[in-house]
This record gives sequence, C-alpha cells and structure tokens, in this order.
Amino acid sequence: MAENEILENKGTPAKEVPLPGSATPAELRAYYSPLRYGLGAVLAFFGISSKTHRASKKRAKLVADIVTYIILLFGAFVMVYPFWWMIAGSFAATAVKNDFIYDLVWWPEFSVLNQKDLNGNVYGFFYNYQFFLGGAFDTAISMGYLGVTFWRALLNNLLYSIVPVVIGVITSASAAFSFAKIQWIGRDVVFMILLAAVMVPGPSIMITQFVMYSDMHWQENGLVLLIPGMFGSIMTAFFIRQFLFGLPTSIIEAAKIDGAGYFRIFCQFILPLAMPAIMAQGLLSFMGCWNNYMGSYIMIPYNSPAINLPHAMYLLNVNILKSNLGPNIAASVLCVLPVIILFGCFQKLIIGSLMLTGSKE
Amino acid sequence: MEENLNLSDESVADVPVEISADAAGAAVAAPAKKKHTVNQQKLQDNLWGWIFCLPLIIGTVWFVYYAFILALMLSFTAYDASQGGLMDAIKNYTVHPEGAFYWYKQLFETVGGSDLSGNYDFVDVTDPATGLVISQIDIRMNEMGRYLFNTVFYMIGIPIGMVLSVFFAVCMSRDIKGGNLFRVLYYIPCVASSIAIVYTFKIMFRTNGVINSVLGLTDFKYPATGKVGFIWISEDTTLGANWNQLCGTSIESGFMLDPYWCQGFFSKAVIIIMSVWKGLGGTIILYVAGLSGVNAATKEAAQIDGANGWQIFWKVTMPDLYPVIFYNIVTSVIGGLQIYAEPELLMSESTASTGFPMVSGYVALIYRYGIVEQTFSRGAAYGMFLAIIIFILTLFQFWLDSRRSD
Repeated sequence: MAENEILENKGTPAKEVPLPGSATPAELRAYYSPLRYGLGAVLAFFGISSKTHRASKKRAKLVADIVTYIILLFGAFVMVYPFWWMIAGSFAATAVKNDFIYDLVWWPEFSVLNQKDLNGNVYGFFYNYQFFLGGAFDTAISMGYLGVTFWRALLNNLLYSIVPVVIGVITSASAAFSFAKIQWIGRDVVFMILLAAVMVPGPSIMITQFVMYSDMHWQENGLVLLIPGMFGSIMTAFFIRQFLFGLPTSIIEAAKIDGAGYFRIFCQFILPLAMPAIMAQGLLSFMGCWNNYMGSYIMIPYNSPAINLPHAMYLLNVNILKSNLGPNIAASVLCVLPVIILFGCFQKLIIGSLMLTGSKE
Repeated sequence: MEENLNLSDESVADVPVEISADAAGAAVAAPAKKKHTVNQQKLQDNLWGWIFCLPLIIGTVWFVYYAFILALMLSFTAYDASQGGLMDAIKNYTVHPEGAFYWYKQLFETVGGSDLSGNYDFVDVTDPATGLVISQIDIRMNEMGRYLFNTVFYMIGIPIGMVLSVFFAVCMSRDIKGGNLFRVLYYIPCVASSIAIVYTFKIMFRTNGVINSVLGLTDFKYPATGKVGFIWISEDTTLGANWNQLCGTSIESGFMLDPYWCQGFFSKAVIIIMSVWKGLGGTIILYVAGLSGVNAATKEAAQIDGANGWQIFWKVTMPDLYPVIFYNIVTSVIGGLQIYAEPELLMSESTASTGFPMVSGYVALIYRYGIVEQTFSRGAAYGMFLAIIIFILTLFQFWLDSRRSD
C-alpha cells in the first residue's frame, strides 16, 4: 500500500507485475531479463517455483524424493561401510604384511591359496579365520593367557544369551501380567519401587555385586552371567505390561468364569497373546547378552573356562594378536555376524517393538 | 509376606467390599454366598498377584537394592580384599579410621598421574634445535577432574547425534519407497558388538588407514619428530613438541605437551565419532516413531495457510517432537556418564586395565580402585558419587517434565 503511494507520488504509473499463473510466457519474458527468466526455468526444472515460473507439484515431489534418496543412500553407505570393511579385512593377507589391512579401502590384497608367510607356513583364503580358531587359541592356552577354546567360548556365549533370556523374559512377563491384570493390595507401590531400581546406575553397584558374587563363588563357573538374568528385568516387565494394557480384560474374566486358574490363564492366554512383545524384548536382550563384553570382563577371571566370546576376543587381542590384525578382524566378524543375521530375520518385529515402546537398546 | 497380606485382606473383608470389575465371576453367584466368594476371589487375586511377580521382586531387591545399600554402607569403611567376605565386613562394621567420608575426600583430593606407569606426572621439554631435554614441567592435575572431563567431553556427541538423527528421521518419514529398508540398515550398528566395532575403528583410524587416506592426511608431517601420517590415537608425550612447532606456541606450553589436552582431543574425537555412528540408528527409530504421531491435519492446515516446508518443520513438526527429543537427551546423558568399554578397548594393551587418563570415562576409576586394586570400599564410594550425579539428573528431568505438563 505504502509502496503504491510512493510510486504514485513520483508520478510514474505502477507497472503491473505479471504472475506466472495468469500471464503468458511472452509477457513474462518481456518483463524479466533473459538471465532471470532462464534461472527461473532452471529452478522450475528442479521443482522450485519462482517469480517467472511456477513448478508443477509433481516435479517438486520428484526432485525432493531424489534428494531424499541421495541423502539416505549416503547415510546408509556410512552406516554399512565399516561392516564391509570388516568383512573384506578378514580376508586380507596380513600373514604376509600387516600393511594390507591398513591400506584397505574397498578390497584388500586377498589371502591366496598355497602362499607362504614369513615363517614358511602355507595358508589359504580363510587363513585369518583358521588362524583365529586354531593357532591363536592354542598359543594363548599354552601360554596361560586364556582358559577356553573357541568352541567353548562360543558355547558359553550361547548359554549366557539363551538360558537367562528365555527364563528371564518369562518371569518378566509373569510379573507384567500380575501388574497389568490382577488386582492385589500394594500392587502399584511395589511396581513403583521396582521401577525406581532403574535409577540405580550399574557401575555404582558394580563393586558390591563383584564382592557378592565372589562370596557365592559364582565367578569362576560363570553362574554370574546365568542366574541374575533369570529373575527378569523390570524394564522388560514394564514394556510387556504396556502391551498387556492393550489386551481386553474380558478374555481373562471369561476364562475365570470357565474355571481357569491364574496359572492356566497366564500359560494359555497371556503368553500366546503377548508373544509379539515377549519375542521382541527377548530378542533385544538376547543381542544385549550376546555382546555382553563388560559382564564377563568385570566378573569372570581371565583364565576361567567360563568367559564368553567377546572377552576371549579381547584377551587374544591384547596378548597374542596385537601385531597380527587379520585374525583379529576375522574374530570381529564372527562376533558380529550372528546378531546381524538374527536382526535381519526379525527386523520387522524388533523395529516395530522399538517404535512402539520408544526404548532403545 | 504373602501370609501377612492375605490375613490383612481377610480382616478388612468385614467391611462391605465393592465388587470390582475383576470380581465379575463372583457376581454371578447367589447373593447369600456373595460375600464369601468375593473374599475368596480377592484372596486368589492377592495370592497369585504376589506369586507372579515374586521372581522379579527377589531379583531386583537382591541384585539392585541390596547391592546398593551395601555399596552405600561399605563406602564409609576401609573394607578391602584382605578383610574376608562380605558377611564379615557387615558383622564387624566400622567406619574408616580416618573418618567416614575419607574416600569421598580422596575422590576430590587425589592429584597426580592416575596412571600406574607414572605418565601424566611430568613431561619433558625438548629443545627443537638440539633435541635435548632442557626441563620438565609438572602436568599433574586432579584425577577425578581428568576422568570426569573426558566423560563430559564425550557428550558433545549427543547434540551432534540428535541433529543428524532428526534430519535422517525427517527424510525417512517422507512418503518414499524403501523407508523401512533404510531404518533397518541404519540400525545395524546398534546391534553389533562394541568390541568388534572398536577394533575395526582402531585400524581404520591408523596413520595409514582408510580415514586418513580419504581425508588426505596420510602425508601429514610432524616437524619435530619427522613422523608422517596423522596420528589420531596416541598417548605419546613426544607428540607435544610437534604441536608446539605447528601452532607456534612456546616450547614449554603445558597445554600442548600434555598428551591429555592437545593430542587427546583427537583420540576423544574418535570415540565421539564412533558413539554417534553406533547410536544413530536407535535415535532415528525413536524420532521416526515420534514423527508418525505428528498430526497430519495440522500440517495440512498450515500448508493451506501458506506456510512453507521450513515453517511447517519448525512450527508444527518440532513441537510435537520435543518430548521425544527431551527424553532422548536425558537418557543419553545418563548413559553417557556410564561410558566405560569403548575408550578402554580403544587403548587397552594388557589384560588388567587400570584406566587411561587420556580417554577413559569416570567408570574406569571405579573399576581400577574397586576391582583391579581390590579396595572395595573406595570403589563403592566412587560409585556412590556417580549415583548421586545421576540421581540429581533424574530429579531434574522429573522437575522439567512436570513443569512442561503444567
């Protein structure tokens, strides 16, 4: 308004600005300089509307989609590249020269069949894996750095990540059932007290737990990684409880009228109905236990036969494989691959559960 | 416990009880029997309620609360491995001879190397012309200060990770094909074992590794020592002289010579990069879930009113995301205070690690005094200090939360 007034005062007639929607291209071209008009055309091609051209919505969406894909693909590359590097590196011929793994960008100087290393040992394509599974463990055991073979460590790892998780998730689910669907005196108080345990940080009670477990002699035999997990965890119970709130109480009431006891209701109704939540929580804690390097490192003595795979890997790294990096990376692959395969199989369930509960493990 | 509750339940049963929805089964019974059956039902509820959560109660009380109370008690004593089992310590409970808060004072007063090999006490000053050691400077500082600074320094990764994950989450929640696939790909680092990832990153960040080749740092020259290739992870005290020359600072500059400060930032950067990379997928999923809850109608209304994409993002999308972001920051800070394994694994070269002042987090001190040196009371006291910090942060979170909902 003010602008118009100024223009009128100056006496020059206000020139009507042609708009890309109403004016013809010829009018627009006459009004703007060729440079500005050309720029507008280029912008419109990339889906951006300007004074000279109006971009179509379809084009705008297409361009935005392409940009999104480029960004996401770049991000995905950054997220996945170290894993590619890991797998490629596990085949590098580090027995000949460690530099092969340092120089690795896309693919390494591979181990080749029947090539000899500096000590005259013949090795093949899977040399790094063979060396890690056999030679490295044997040397470590004979030198007293380690008390387990690879297979024992793997068995321990499976034991520590299956037994406590399966039992723990069932005990958590039973507690969740009790908190969500049974009315008993003091229920909410007990729940709040248990939930407050989340506030206690693990490292601050690490020392007393260490003394407790060593008094009970749970450390050398690995019970420390088995028994505490069997009692379930309050966070698991919390998430299953949230899920159970979504189930209709009428099912339980109907079962009660038909004469089913609570134990039967839990086994025959709650467990099958809450299976998606139970499975997702179980898988997440399985992955947590599989990667539980800290638990074994802190609680179990290094020469005990009860240490788990990441701990064995750490001990081999600091004692034997410091200078031979190929087997080290092969060990990393063996450690990471099972969980990634498991995650690949159940990704829908896990991601769905994460999105539902908003937890991140 | 169960017996008690059942008894008390029966005693209250004289008072007329309202029939809850759960007692619907009892309601069908004849009116004369009603009172009795309601009691029976209530009894059943109480009995089974307790039985079902008994394992969880036992586990939590035993492994968390009992351990916590013991840790609090032991932190005032002089208990260590030479004094027998836990029961003996409780039976002959005596506070530390030099005062109950001795270890808490030690936490603030311990000054020095905090490294068993005596690094981080004094550093040599070499004359660049002759290469001879001309003097030594004292670089000792408060032990807890070093470790706590590392811990706090790693939290730089939290805002970086937050911005990146909001950005990627917004990209993913666009209406495109294969959004789910990206979510899965981005989540892979979260499920991978941290030890494998640390070893991979350790080699990737070598002087002639991938990262340096990509960044073109393989030809980086250290003027004083003549080394080639940028060094990310190193506790080498002689690197300080190079930094002095490169930055033109005095040859006696403690900031440059102490590997903790100048060189240490690069080592700490590796850990920040690693933790941002590892944690990104989890937060992205949180934010995608948060974004799917953003009201589509509000968005459309804003669009009709002529708001552009940028305005819609800040005025419509972000306010809906704030609770998720807030929750995520609080959990990240609390988790970040407990960082231990990554820095330790990055540096460790022996079976019993006593902590690395350059990179280790606060928990390394608890581990060192409590488990390596077996001074349990000291470890417990250090742990209590961490618990206090985290407790205050949690209370702060609740306070902010309640203010927001008002």
